Amino acid sequence: MSKLFKGEIYVQDKEVVVPGQPLARGLKPGKNVYVDEDKVIRAKKIGLVSIKDDGEVNVVPLAGAYMPKEGDIVIGIVSKISGSTILVDIKAPYQGAIPIPRGRAAERVDIFKYDLKPGDVILAKVKSFDGSSSLLLTIDLEGLGKLEGGIVIEVQPAKVPRIIGKRQSMLNLLKEKTKSDIIIGNNGRIWVKAPSHKELTALEKAIREIEEESHVSGLSDRISSLLDRELG
Amino acid sequence: MPLYVEKKPERLITEEGVRTDGRLPHEIRPIRMTVGVLERADGSALVEWGGNRILAAVFGPREVHPKHLMLPDKALVRARYNMAPFSTPERRRPGPDRRSVELSKVIREALKPAIFVENYPGAVIDIFVEVLRSDAGTRVAGVTAASLALAHAGIAMRGLVAACAAGRVGEFVVCDPNHDEDMWGEADMPMAMMMESRKITLLQIDGPMTPEQFEEALNMAKRGIEFVYELQKEALKRPYVLVERRIRGV
Repeated sequence: MSKLFKGEIYVQDKEVVVPGQPLARGLKPGKNVYVDEDKVIRAKKIGLVSIKDDGEVNVVPLAGAYMPKEGDIVIGIVSKISGSTILVDIKAPYQGAIPIPRGRAAERVDIFKYDLKPGDVILAKVKSFDGSSSLLLTIDLEGLGKLEGGIVIEVQPAKVPRIIGKRQSMLNLLKEKTKSDIIIGNNGRIWVKAPSHKELTALEKAIREIEEESHVSGLSDRISSLLDRELG
Repeated sequence: MPLYVEKKPERLITEEGVRTDGRLPHEIRPIRMTVGVLERADGSALVEWGGNRILAAVFGPREVHPKHLMLPDKALVRARYNMAPFSTPERRRPGPDRRSVELSKVIREALKPAIFVENYPGAVIDIFVEVLRSDAGTRVAGVTAASLALAHAGIAMRGLVAACAAGRVGEFVVCDPNHDEDMWGEADMPMAMMMESRKITLLQIDGPMTPEQFEEALNMAKRGIEFVYELQKEALKRPYVLVERRIRGV
């Protein structure tokens, strides 16, 4: 953290903060913070403070529901087919909808992908979201659509970035050590296809440990040794 | 003949200001706060405050049911205050009554200004305050617990809301009235505050006070609130501190 910016900082980098806690003054407000009437940057959520080199003050949340964003990859469970729309539960306050292409539009897509029934687990992309009611998903891309043969592990959505890690480092570690196929949805669902029960158990333990210990540094090393212990 | 007869103490406070439970006028009852006590809620807290045992659970932001209550531009905030049948000396008839409907309303209105409702358009945040054992001051303990549960759920907030009551017993203004003082004291004044701005979001008075006594009660409640706020911050951070200490071994 360089001192290229001027302003006051009231907390330490990586400190656990609670809503309303003053973090800094005269710096750039980033994510999960707000600026009050006296220009003090305060935390909006319980989380870890992260001050960037350019003086941007962020809070990395430790809890919270999944709020959809355009472009997110999510793992959904088909809840209902109503007319020409597939309704999907994506563990958000809003239901996802996938319109089933008809007529001309149907010719350009792999229509078999849309042969879904309630309970099916699908990988989808958030196509558009108006912020309140209309949440459109798409499965019309390579790799998207029904997921088969694996199981779904639910995690706290706030912990997803830690399970992926910097430049996917944690995800790659999990994949390599457990020789499993792993797909992580931004919405806090993880689809896993492990070679055997042993790897699956190890993987679930590792994921639970990441969830619980994400705020303590040295996480990769601890997860690596946990997996070695479990699989060794 | 009722099985339980409440007995008024001979006196509520001595000339030196010693109260029926031995506290001095400015002293608060022992408080313990724990977050994350309910597995199935998105956020939860247990507040033990004197003889009060209060559970708060928060669900959401989640889909609104019934749909017609949905607000297009912000989150709907609902609160329910409920007393368990076994929470009072005599069995309480289950279900909402006039008092619990009022308390649900004041608790919701004490907390709502602290929530960034505009961050969750079309969703609902449900707050449940369950009184398991009541011992005066359940609404302030309820607000305190619910605010912890909201923060624990990771909901965007301007700050925590802390609450405490003050009251009048004879000519004494007292902090955090106990059961006897609540029953037979002259006045009771619960208060809640948004801690980042020190704005008051709940203030009720039941009983007469002079302007001077009111001023004193306001300051007394404020001091109680500041103390409660320190405990809230500590309780929210504690689970993370414990995990870190376990790993580092220091």
